[in-house]
Amino acid sequence: MTSVAHRGRRLWATTAGLASTALVLAACSGGGSDPSASEGGGGGASSLTVGTTDKITSLDPAGSYDNGSFAVQNQVFPFLMNTPYGSPDVEPDIAESAEFTSPTEYTVKLKSGLKWANGHDLTSSDVKFTFDRQLKIADDNGPSSLLYNLDSVAAPDDTTVVFTLKSENDQVFPQILSSPVGPIVDEEVFSPDALTPDDEIVAANAFAGQYTITDYKVNELVSYKKYDGYQGILEPAKTAEVNAVYYAESENLKLAVQQGDVDVAFRSLSATDIADLKGNDKVKVVDGPGGEIRYLVFNFDTQPFGAKTSDADADKATAVRKAVAALIDRQAISDQVYKGTYTPLYSFVPAGLTGATESLKIYGDGNGGPSVDQAKQFLSEAGVSGKVTLNIQYSNDHYGPSSPDEYAMIKDQLESSGLFTVNLQTTEWVQYSKDRTSDVYPVYQLGWFPDYSDADNYLTPFFLIENFLVNHFENQEINDLILQQATTADPAERQSIIENIQESVAGYLPTVPYLQGAQVAVVGSTVSGAEDTLDASFKFRYGALSKG
Amino acid sequence: MATALTPEPTAPAPVAVAVPERAAWWRRLPVVHQLRQSVGVQRTMLVLGLVLMAVFLLSAIFAPLLAPYGFSQLRDASGEAFGAQQPPSAEHLLGTTVGGYDVLSRVIWGSRTALMVVVIGLLLSVFLGIAFGLVSGYFGGWLDRVAVVVADAVYSFPSLLLAILAAIVISGGQASVWGGIMATAVSITVVFIPQYFRVVRAEVIRVKAEAFVESARVIGTPHRRIMTRHVLRNSTRTLPLIVTLNSSEAILTLAGLGFLGFGIEPTKGADWGYDLNKALSDIAAGIWWTSVWPGVAIVLTVLGITLVGESLNDLADPRLRRRRRAARLAGTVGSTTAVPGGVLAAGAQGADGIDGLEASEQDALDPLEDPVAEPRGVAGTGGDEGGSRS
Amino acid sequence: MTSTTPAAPAAPSAPAAPEAPQRRGRPAGSPLLRYLLVRFLLIFPTILILVSVVFVMLRLTGDPITAALGGRLTPDQLQERIHEAGYDRPIVVQYLDYLGSIVRGDFGTTISDNRPVTQVLLTYGTATLELVVYGMLVALLIGIPLGRIAASRRDSGGDATLRVASILAYATPVFFLGMLLKLVFSVWLGVLPVSGRASTISTLKMSREGSSTGIYLIDAISTGDGAVISDVLQHAILPAVTLGLITGGIFLRLVRTNVMGTLATGYVEAARSRGVGERRLLRKHAWRPALIPIITVIGLQTALLLSGAVLTETTFEWKGLGFQLVQYLLARDYVAVQGMVALIAVIVALTNFVVDVIAALIDPRIRY
Repeated sequence: MTSVAHRGRRLWATTAGLASTALVLAACSGGGSDPSASEGGGGGASSLTVGTTDKITSLDPAGSYDNGSFAVQNQVFPFLMNTPYGSPDVEPDIAESAEFTSPTEYTVKLKSGLKWANGHDLTSSDVKFTFDRQLKIADDNGPSSLLYNLDSVAAPDDTTVVFTLKSENDQVFPQILSSPVGPIVDEEVFSPDALTPDDEIVAANAFAGQYTITDYKVNELVSYKKYDGYQGILEPAKTAEVNAVYYAESENLKLAVQQGDVDVAFRSLSATDIADLKGNDKVKVVDGPGGEIRYLVFNFDTQPFGAKTSDADADKATAVRKAVAALIDRQAISDQVYKGTYTPLYSFVPAGLTGATESLKIYGDGNGGPSVDQAKQFLSEAGVSGKVTLNIQYSNDHYGPSSPDEYAMIKDQLESSGLFTVNLQTTEWVQYSKDRTSDVYPVYQLGWFPDYSDADNYLTPFFLIENFLVNHFENQEINDLILQQATTADPAERQSIIENIQESVAGYLPTVPYLQGAQVAVVGSTVSGAEDTLDASFKFRYGALSKG
Repeated sequence: MATALTPEPTAPAPVAVAVPERAAWWRRLPVVHQLRQSVGVQRTMLVLGLVLMAVFLLSAIFAPLLAPYGFSQLRDASGEAFGAQQPPSAEHLLGTTVGGYDVLSRVIWGSRTALMVVVIGLLLSVFLGIAFGLVSGYFGGWLDRVAVVVADAVYSFPSLLLAILAAIVISGGQASVWGGIMATAVSITVVFIPQYFRVVRAEVIRVKAEAFVESARVIGTPHRRIMTRHVLRNSTRTLPLIVTLNSSEAILTLAGLGFLGFGIEPTKGADWGYDLNKALSDIAAGIWWTSVWPGVAIVLTVLGITLVGESLNDLADPRLRRRRRAARLAGTVGSTTAVPGGVLAAGAQGADGIDGLEASEQDALDPLEDPVAEPRGVAGTGGDEGGSRS
Repeated sequence: MTSTTPAAPAAPSAPAAPEAPQRRGRPAGSPLLRYLLVRFLLIFPTILILVSVVFVMLRLTGDPITAALGGRLTPDQLQERIHEAGYDRPIVVQYLDYLGSIVRGDFGTTISDNRPVTQVLLTYGTATLELVVYGMLVALLIGIPLGRIAASRRDSGGDATLRVASILAYATPVFFLGMLLKLVFSVWLGVLPVSGRASTISTLKMSREGSSTGIYLIDAISTGDGAVISDVLQHAILPAVTLGLITGGIFLRLVRTNVMGTLATGYVEAARSRGVGERRLLRKHAWRPALIPIITVIGLQTALLLSGAVLTETTFEWKGLGFQLVQYLLARDYVAVQGMVALIAVIVALTNFVVDVIAALIDPRIRY
C-alpha cells in the first residue's frame, strides 16, 4: 500500500511538473502578441486569410451539392460556362464558344493549350469524363439531378464537346454548366465510377481554376495558391496565397475578424455580429444581393377553406392567402430579426436576377408595407367572417438560428390585425421534410438556395404541376408558360415571359415569399475587391480580393 | 425539487429507526433535521443554499404574478412592439433579447421551465430507478447481471451525449406545448435511472444479507414485504441526497441541450440555456444584459441546489460532520447510512461496506455477480461526480 | 478503510470458487487473475450495449437521406434514394449488418461528407485526447493542492470560500464560462487567441514541416520552431482552463472529503493522541491513504471529461471528437455517429477496466 501511495505521489509530482512547464512555456513565449494569421507567410499583400462558417462535404464535385463545398470548387476547378464579376448571366469560361448547333445539340469549343496545374492536358476528353461520371456515380449528396436534360456527351476532337439534350432549346442548360454539377475534373486523377477522396485530389494537384490547393485539412484550413496557368473568364487572382479558415460558431468568426485574425469573414455572421461590426472602424461591412429566399407555402388541400377541408371554398382560401400576403411586414422582420442581412422580397424571383419583378407589392399598402384594411377587405369580399385560425409550421434547426424569432414576429403581425389566430409549431427537420409533403402542414416555412443564377430556378421547381412542394397548386397556364420560357432563345422575349409568370402566380399565391438573403462579407479596412465578387452569381471568388 | 425534498412518497414514515429520542415531527423532516444538526460554516452554506433554492422555487411557482410580461410576448398592452436588444429601461428592467422578448420575464419564466423539467425528469428516474433496482436486486440471477451491465454501460457513457440522442428521438415528432419540456425531462431521465438503480439494488443486496431479514424469514414474515420496507427506508436516507445533486445536473443538462440547439422553443417556454445561446453573439457585441441574467440564473440555481446537496452529504457522514452536537444525533444517521463515505467520498469505503456484507452471504464472489460492488459502486452513488457531467 | 490487512479477503474467496464459475471450470490462476479476466470480458458487453442503444435511438429518428435532402427532392426521388441505400430494410437486418461490419473493423464512410469513419476517428480522437490531457492537468493542479488546503483548514472561512468557488466553477455552464474567458483574455486583454488549435501559419508550418500525429504539441515540437510551439500552447490555455476548472472543482471536493475522512480514522486519531501536530498528521498520515480513492475516482472522470469536451470544443472551435459528434448529430449522419459512439464506448470501457485493475492492485479487498 505504501509503495502504491508512493507511486501515486510520484505520478502527481510528474504531472504537476509537466503541467507547470507547459503553462510557464506558454506564458513566457506568449507575451501578448499572437502571431496574426495574416501577417506571416511572406510579406503583407501576398497572402490573405478568409474565415467562414461553411462546411465542406466533399472536394469532388460529384459528391457535394452544398454552398460550402461549391465555394471551394469555384476557386479551383474550371467551368465551361461561368459568370464574370458583377453579372448573373453566364459566358464561356474555359471555352471559346458555346452554342446550340441543333435544337438538341449544344456544342462547346474549348480554348486550346489548356493545362491542369499538375501538367496534364485539359481537353474535351476531361469534359466528357466529368459529365459521364456525374451521371454514373449519381451520389446521394451529389448534384447529378441537375443534369436531368442531358442525354449524352461526345468529344469528337480535343477541343470540341457536344452535349446531346433530351428536350430542345433548353435555355437553362448553359446555366447548369456553371452550377455545382459543372466543375470540370481531371480524368487522370478522378475515379470514373466512385467519389475521389479529398486528399487524393489535393495530392494530385488536379486543379485549373484561379487557385490550386496546397494544404488541406477538411473543415479546418484550406491553403490556396494562385494558378498561373488559369485561362478562364475571370482575371488572374490578385492575391498569391489565400488561406481559408473554417469556424463552427459565428461569434468566433466575428471575434476573429474583429481581432484581425482573418482578413475577410464571409458566410455566415449573425445579424447581431454584423450590426456590431458596422460600428467598428477596423473592418468594413460589404454586401451584395443574395440568392437565398424564405417563403411560406400554403397547402391548397389543407389550408383554411382548402379543397379537402370540411368548409372547402376556393375563393375564401385565396382570400386567406392574400390577407396573409397583405399583413406580413417584411421590413420589420428584416430590421428587427435580421438587421438588414435579409432584405424584403416582393416576388418569386429575387431581386438582382434577370427578369425579377416586384409583383407582390400589390398586397399591402402598395409600397411594400403591410395593410390591415386591405387584408380585411380581401376576407370580407370573399365572405370570410370571424377570425381565421392558421397553423403554421416552421423548422427551428434548418434555416438558421433566427427562425424562431422570425416566426414569433409573423405570428405577432398576423394576430395583431385581429383577423387571424396563429398556432406556431416546430418540428425537427427530418420529420418536417416527411410531413410537409404528406399534407400534414396547412401552412409552412421553407427556404431555397438557387442551383444557378437564373429565374427559372425559382419557378420550375415550385409552380409546375409536378413540383417539389406537392402543395396541390395546379395551373395549366402557368405550367405552360414556365415550360415555354425555358426554351425561348431570344433573351428579351424570355424575360417578358418570366415577368408574366410572376404576375400570374401573384394572383394565386401558392407561396408567399417574404425575405431574400443578402450576401454580407466583413473585411479588414485595407482589404478591397469584396464588392466586385458579391454579385448575383452568388459565387464568392477569392481571386477578386486583395489587401494593402 | 419540491418533491425531492419531502420524504419519498413510497417510503413509510421513519418510525422506529434508531432515533434515540422522539423529537417533534417537523424536526425530523429531512432538511429541517439537517439544518438543526448543522453548525458554523456548514450551517451558513446550508442556509445560503436553502435561500437560493427558495428564491428559485418561489419565482417558478409565482412566475405569472412576478413576471411583467409573458415569456413569448413581443408587444405591450398598447400594441407597441418591444424592439430587439433594447437596453434596460423603466419598461424593461433588464432590457430585451435579440428576439425582442423581455429579459426579466424570460428569466422568471425560465425558472418555471427548469423546475418542471427537473421535477418530471427526477420523478420519472426515481420511480423507474427504484423499481428496476428492487426487481433486479431482489430476484438476482442472470436478469440482475444483465441489468447491472446495462446500467453500468449507460452510466459510464457521457451523459450529455446520451441526453442529446434522447432529445432527438423524443422531439422527432411534433413539438406540442409540453413536447419540449417532456423531451428534455425524459432525456435527463435516461441519464439518471442507472444511478438510482444502483443505489437501490446495492441496498437490496445489503438488506437481503441482514440478520433481521433472516429472522423475519424464519418467523414467516413475507420476505418481499420486509425487503421493500427496509430497503426503501434505508434508501430514503441516500436518495434525497442524490436527488438534490441530480437536480443541479438536470439544470445544467437542460442548459447544455439549449446551447447545442436541442432546447425548448421560445414561444413554448422560457429556457435559460436557449436564451444564453442566442445571446452569445450579443456578448461579443457588448450587449451584456441578454446573456448575463439567464447565465446568473443558471449559476445561482445550480449553486443553491449544490450547496444544499453538499451540506446534506457532509451532515450525513459522521466523519465530515462537525462534532459539536453530534452525540445526540449520531445514532440516527451513522448506523443506517447505506454508503458511509457519503456521496463524494463513497470511494473504497462504500464498496467495502457492501462487499463485506455480500461476502458474508457467500453469494457474491464472482465479480459478474456484482460489478456495482466494485469501485464503480463509487460512481454509482456518486451523484456528485455524475453531477457535473454536463 | 478500516481493515488494512491484504490477507483478510482471501478467506471468503475459497468457498466461492466452486460455486460461481463452475461452468467455466475451476479457474487455474489466482483470484486476482480471475477477477481481471472477468473484468476484461465485461468490456465486450459494455461496448455492445452502448452501440446497440445508440443504433436503436438513431434509427427511431428517421433516415439520413431525408435529413440531408428532404428539402430539395420530391417524395418519390427521396424514396428511391432511401431504397438504394438500404434504409428501408427491416431494422433488425440493418442492425445485424451493422454489427457484422463493426466486427470486421469496418466503420463505413460518413454519409454527409463521404469520409472513412476510421480516418475521422483518428483525426478528431487525437485532438480530443490532447484537450482532455490538458484539462486533466489543469484539474489536478487546481484540485489537489486546493483540496488539501481546504481539508487542512476545515470549516474555516478559507475552506468555505474554496468550496463555494468549486461549486461555482461547476455551476457555470461551460459555454458561458468559455465566452467570458474569451472576452477577458482575448478581446479585452488581447493576450490569448480567440479560438482554434493553432494559428493559420503554425498549422501550415506543422503540416508542411512537422510530424502529423494530430497531437499539435508533438507536431509543433517536431518543427523545432519556438514560435509554433508557443502558439500551440497559447491556443490550448483557455480550453484547458475551461475544461479543467470544472473538473478541478470536483477534484477539490473529492480530495477535501477524502483527506478529512482519513484524518478521522483510528490510526490518525492514534497519532494525534500521541501528540503529532495537525500539519504533520496531514502530510505524513492522512494524505497517502486519501490518495488511493482519489486516483481511482480521477480515472473515472473520462465520461465527465468527454461530456465537458463536447461543450468546450464547441466553444473554442477545438475540432475534436465531441465537436464533430455534435456536427454529425445535427446532420443526422448515422454512420459517423455510430462510429464515434463505438469509439467512445471503447474508450469508456477500457478506462473502466484499467481503473478497476489499478484499484484491485492497490486494494486487494476490492477484488471480491
